[in-house]
Amino acid sequence: MFFGRNKKGELHKGDVFLAKGIYLKQPVMKNGNVLMNCFLRAFVVFLLTYGSIGAFLSAFSIAYNALLVICIYLWLSVYFSWLYTLPKFYMRDVGYILFFAAFVFSIVRLRYFANSGFYEIVNRIMEVAQGYFNLAGVRQYEIAIDKPYLTVAIVACFVGMVFIILLNIWLSASASVGWSVMITFPMLCIPLYMELVPNVFYVIILMTGYFLVVTFKANGHYIASPKGVSFYIKGLKKNRITYTQDSKTFRQVVLRIFLAGICLVLLSVAVFPENMFKRMFKNDPLREQTSELVGNFVLRGFGAFYNRYAGAGGMSGGKLGGISNVTPDYQPDLIVTFAPFSNEAMYLKAYTGGRYGDNEWEDIYADSENMQKYDDIEIFEDDSMKNEAMALRQKVYDADVHGGMGKMKITNVGADSSYMYYPYYTLFPDYGDFNNYGMMRTKHGIFMNDHAIYNFYPKLVWEEQLGKMKPSEQDLSNVNTIFLEVPDKNEEVLAHEIAAMGITDSMSVNEIVDTMRTYFSDNIPYTLRPGSTPRDEDFVNYFLTKNRKGYCAHFATTATLMFRQLGIPARYVEGYAFGLEAALASEENTLEKYFDYYDGYAPIGESTVLDVEVTDAMAHAWVEIYIDGFGWKVVEVTPGSNEASDESDFWSAFTSALNVSDFGDGWDSENLFGKIDFKKYWWLMYVVIAIVSVVFVWKIAMLLARKTIRFYRCHVGERKENIIAYYADLCDMIRVLDASFNSCRSHKEQLMYMKEHYALMLDVTMCCEQLEEISFSEHLMDDTQLQVLYGLLRTIRKSIWKNADWKKCLQLIKR
Amino acid sequence: MKQFWNITRYILIIVLNIIMMWLFQSYLNFLFLIALLLFPIYSVYGLHCVKNAFSLELQAPLESMEKGSVFLVRVKLHNPTAFPLLNATVKLELENTFHREDGVHFLNIPIRAHADTVVEYPIVMDYSGCFVVNTQYVELVDLLGIFEKKIEITKSASCLVTPIGEDYTQEAGQLYVQGVSEATESRNKGVDFSEISGVREYIPGDKLQNIHWKLSVKKDEWMVKERVSMSAVQLHVLLELYNDEQMCADAVLDLAQSVTKSLVSQNLPFTIFYYSARLGELASYYVGSEQEHKEWLEMVLYDRCYKDTLHAKHMFCQQHVGAGSYLYIGLADGDGNSETMITGRQGSVAVLCAC
Repeated sequence: MFFGRNKKGELHKGDVFLAKGIYLKQPVMKNGNVLMNCFLRAFVVFLLTYGSIGAFLSAFSIAYNALLVICIYLWLSVYFSWLYTLPKFYMRDVGYILFFAAFVFSIVRLRYFANSGFYEIVNRIMEVAQGYFNLAGVRQYEIAIDKPYLTVAIVACFVGMVFIILLNIWLSASASVGWSVMITFPMLCIPLYMELVPNVFYVIILMTGYFLVVTFKANGHYIASPKGVSFYIKGLKKNRITYTQDSKTFRQVVLRIFLAGICLVLLSVAVFPENMFKRMFKNDPLREQTSELVGNFVLRGFGAFYNRYAGAGGMSGGKLGGISNVTPDYQPDLIVTFAPFSNEAMYLKAYTGGRYGDNEWEDIYADSENMQKYDDIEIFEDDSMKNEAMALRQKVYDADVHGGMGKMKITNVGADSSYMYYPYYTLFPDYGDFNNYGMMRTKHGIFMNDHAIYNFYPKLVWEEQLGKMKPSEQDLSNVNTIFLEVPDKNEEVLAHEIAAMGITDSMSVNEIVDTMRTYFSDNIPYTLRPGSTPRDEDFVNYFLTKNRKGYCAHFATTATLMFRQLGIPARYVEGYAFGLEAALASEENTLEKYFDYYDGYAPIGESTVLDVEVTDAMAHAWVEIYIDGFGWKVVEVTPGSNEASDESDFWSAFTSALNVSDFGDGWDSENLFGKIDFKKYWWLMYVVIAIVSVVFVWKIAMLLARKTIRFYRCHVGERKENIIAYYADLCDMIRVLDASFNSCRSHKEQLMYMKEHYALMLDVTMCCEQLEEISFSEHLMDDTQLQVLYGLLRTIRKSIWKNADWKKCLQLIKR
Repeated sequence: MKQFWNITRYILIIVLNIIMMWLFQSYLNFLFLIALLLFPIYSVYGLHCVKNAFSLELQAPLESMEKGSVFLVRVKLHNPTAFPLLNATVKLELENTFHREDGVHFLNIPIRAHADTVVEYPIVMDYSGCFVVNTQYVELVDLLGIFEKKIEITKSASCLVTPIGEDYTQEAGQLYVQGVSEATESRNKGVDFSEISGVREYIPGDKLQNIHWKLSVKKDEWMVKERVSMSAVQLHVLLELYNDEQMCADAVLDLAQSVTKSLVSQNLPFTIFYYSARLGELASYYVGSEQEHKEWLEMVLYDRCYKDTLHAKHMFCQQHVGAGSYLYIGLADGDGNSETMITGRQGSVAVLCAC
C-alpha cells in the first residue's frame, strides 16, 4: 500500500492512506466553504472579465449600464464556477446545456438590442479610428434601438459570457496565466493601438485579476475545492496533501492584492505621469509601420490586406486601385547612361493613359472598331511628339543659348520589357514604335538586357508666355478630344474638390498647376500603403472622398481628370523618374566622354557621364498637360511623403482631470521631484482621505462580519459544533485580555486557568472530559449534557466580561 | 523546481509586458510593469515577517479513542502578522508506536493573517496502539512562489487508540473459575505465586504462609509479606504480544480487551503479565477495577509488540515455576489444557495453560 487515496471498493474508500493502519478520513466539506471557494474563483473570473471589457468600453468612452453588467457577470461567474464544484462530471454537462438553452432563448429575445449595441460600439470605434487614422469617411451602421446605455450593456453581457466560460475552464483546470492574458488582453490592443488608455478603475480591477491568477498558480491553490473535498492530494510521489477549505486566507489575499493594486496605480500616476512616460519614446515604430495598414483595415476590412494584382513597384500599365501596399524591391530596373545637365528630375516616359475607365487608364487604341478615331489619335500623338522635339532641335541649330542636345543609353536590366523607356523630346526615326499603339502592336519595348540609344532635346527654359493663358483661351483645335474626357461619375466629386482648391475661372494654366500642387501637398498625404480600392468604388472618387491618401498614381490620375475638367488637355503617364541626387550617387562611366553625351546649354554646367541605376522604387506616374504654343508639358503633382499622426490621448485627459498633467516637468533636471509644484498635489489629500475612509469602513464592515460569523457559528446549526465554536471564542477572548493564556495548551490547563482567574465553581475534570469528547471524537453526547456544558460556558463568558475593565472591554469589542 | 518555474513564468510575464509596453507605448502596460516589479518585494517582505512571527502547534485528543473511530488531530498555525501566505508545508510524521508502523507526508496549508489557521485532521486507525504525530519543520513560500524559507519546529502530539472489546462474560467467567480452582490447588500445596507488593509487621490473623521467615529472623520480630491480592484469589493472565505481517498482535489485543473487560465487569480480579519490549522484561499489573483495567491497557499500548514468537510464555514459565494454571491470551499454539477456550480473530485464543 502506498500513500494516496484508496480506490473504490476498498475498505477505506476515499480515505487517504498515511501509514499502515492510519488513514486520513475525508471530511464532508462544509457548504459554507464550498460556496466561499466557489465565490472566490468566480470573483477572479469576474475581475478579469469586467476589467477587460470595462477597460475596453471606458477607453472608447462608451457609456453603459454598469450595474446590469456587474450583476450579470457576477451571476454567470458564480454559476460556471459552481458547475466545477459539482461532484459528478455529467452534472457539469447538464449545467452547460441548461445555460446554452437559456443563452439561445435570450439571444433570440434580445437580438435587436444586441445588434444595436454591437453597432453602437463598432460605430464608436470607427468614429475614433476615423480621427486617429485621418480617414475621410468610414461606414456607420444603422442602429435599430437608440438606447446605447442599455444595448451596449447587453452586448457587453454576451461578450463577457464567452470570456467567463473560457476563463472559468482555464482557471478551474490549471489557473493558466497565459490563457487569462490571451483571453482578456487582445481586446485591449485596439484602444491601446489608438493611444487610448482605459479608466484607472478598470486598470486596477484587471491588474488585481491578473495578480490573483499569478499568485494562485504559483502556490498551486488554483483548484479551490475539487469535487468538494477538503484535502486534495497533489503529488502522490511527494506525499503531499493540500488543504483546500480555508477560503478566508484566499479572501485576505484578494483584499491585499486589490489594495496593493490601488496604491501602486495611484502612486505610479502621481510619481510618473503619462506625459513623463511618453517622453521615454523618441519614435513609434509600430504605428509608423502599421498605421496605414490598420487604417485601411478599419476602412475596408480584410480586403485591405492583399493586392489584387502585382504591386511590387515598377509599371502598372494604367491599372489603378488594386494595389494595397507598394513594396518595391529596390533592385535596378534600368541602367541609364547619360550626362546630367540640369537639376530638374529626369522623366523616362513609357505608358500614356488616354481614357479613364473602370479604375484603369484604358489604352486609347483599344476601341479598334472606330478606326477613324484611332488614326486621328495616332497622328496627333506622333505629330505632337515630333513637333516638340523638332522645335527644340531647331533651337540647337539656331545656336539658342538655352538649346541643348543629349544622348541617353537605356539598358533594361529588370524593367517590364513590354514598354519602351525614353526621355522627353526625343527624335525618333519612326514615332509609330514609341506611341502606345506601337508598343501594343509589337508587344515589346526594350528587351531584357538590351538597350536603346536616344538623342533628345531637353526643354530647359520655359518661356514666360507659355501657360500664362487661361484654359479657355488656349487653342485646342489640334488636340484630340479624348484628352479632355472626364467620366460622368467623377464630375461631381472633381468639381467639389476643385472648388475646395479655390481654383477659379480667372486663373491661368500655370496658376492652376501651382494651386493644385500646393493643395495636394497640404491636404492629402503621400503613402505607399494606401490600401486597395474596394471593388464597388471608383478609384478617383474613393481617393478624394474617403481614403484621401495615396501614391503617385492616385495624384496623377486625379490631377489628369481635374485638368481635363478645367479644360486643360491632360494625360496620365507612367514611367521612371529620378532626380539629380540619385544620378550623382551613381557610378561614373569613365569610358564615355561628356561631350559625346551632352552638348549645349546646361544649367549645372559640365558634368560627367554616369551609369544611373534606376530601381523599381523610381517608377512613377505623372501628368502631361497641353500648353498652347508648345505642346505637352510634364506636371508633377505628387507631394513628398509627409505623414501626420493623431495626438488624441485619453490618459492625458485623466491626469489633467487630476491636475497632474504637467507636473514633473523638471524631473530630469534635479531629481524626481525636482521642480514639482506641491500645490498641485492637493488632490493627493483627497486620495489619502479616501483611502483612510475606505480602510475605516472596511474595518467596521469586517468587524461586523466577524461578529456575525461568530454568532452564526456559536448559535446556529449543530449544538456540538456551537459549543466547540463557543469555547474557542472564549479562549480567544481570554487571549486578547491575557497573553499568558497562550501557554495553556490543553483543555484541562485552560479550564484551570479560567477557574483560577474568574473564581468559578467549575468541575474541571468533568468539563474537560466533555470538551475532549465533543472536540476530538464523533461520539454523540446527549442533549442535556450539551445544554449543561453550554450553560457553563456562558457563565464563564459572563464572568470574563464582568472582570474586564473598560479598556479590556474595548479590546473585546474590537475583536 | 516549482520555484524555478514560478520565477521563469514571472519573468516571462514581465518580458511580455515590456514588449507590449514598447510596441504600443502603452501607459497601461507601464503601470502593470511597475506593479510587476514591486509586487515581488511585497511578497518576499511578507514571507520574511511571517517567518519571524509564526508558530505551530499540534493537538491530539487527551482521552484515548477506540480503534476504528475517527478522532481529530489539529494542526494550528498562528500568524500574528498582516501578511497571509498561501503555501505553508508542514512535514508530518505519523506513527503507531505499538505496532511500529509509521509514515511521512506533507500537509500544505494556507496561513491566515492576524489569526490562527486550524486544520482538523480526521484520523482513523485500523490497529490499536499509541498514535503519535510530530513535525520537524515547516516550509513557508511567499505569495508569488519564488522564495522559500524552512523553519525548524519540533512539535508532537499523541493519542491512545484502544482495542474494541466483545462480550465474553460467560466464557471468561468459566475460564476464571477453572483457572482459579487450579491456582487454589497449587496454593494449598504451599505455593502462592501472587505478587509481593511489600513487607509489614505481623498483625494477628495473618496467614502463616505469608510470614517472611528470613526477615523475621533478622529483625527479631514477625514480618509478613504483603501480597497484591491478599483478600481474594486471583487468576494470572499472560498476554503474548507477538506480531506478524498480518498484524496478529492487534487481534490478540482485541481478545485481551474483551476477556479482561468481561472479567472486570464480573468483579473478578486478576494479574496480567506481558513482555515489555521497552523494559526488556516481563511486566505485570494487578487489575481489580475499571480504572486499573484502563491504566493497564494504556501501559500496554504505550509499549511495543515484538517479532519473537512465544516470548512472554517462555519467560513467564521461567519466572513462575509451578505457578500452575494461568490464562494465556495469544496465538494458538496447542498448549491449552482447558475445555473452555475463547477464540478471536486471526487465530488468537484465550485458553488456560499451565507451566
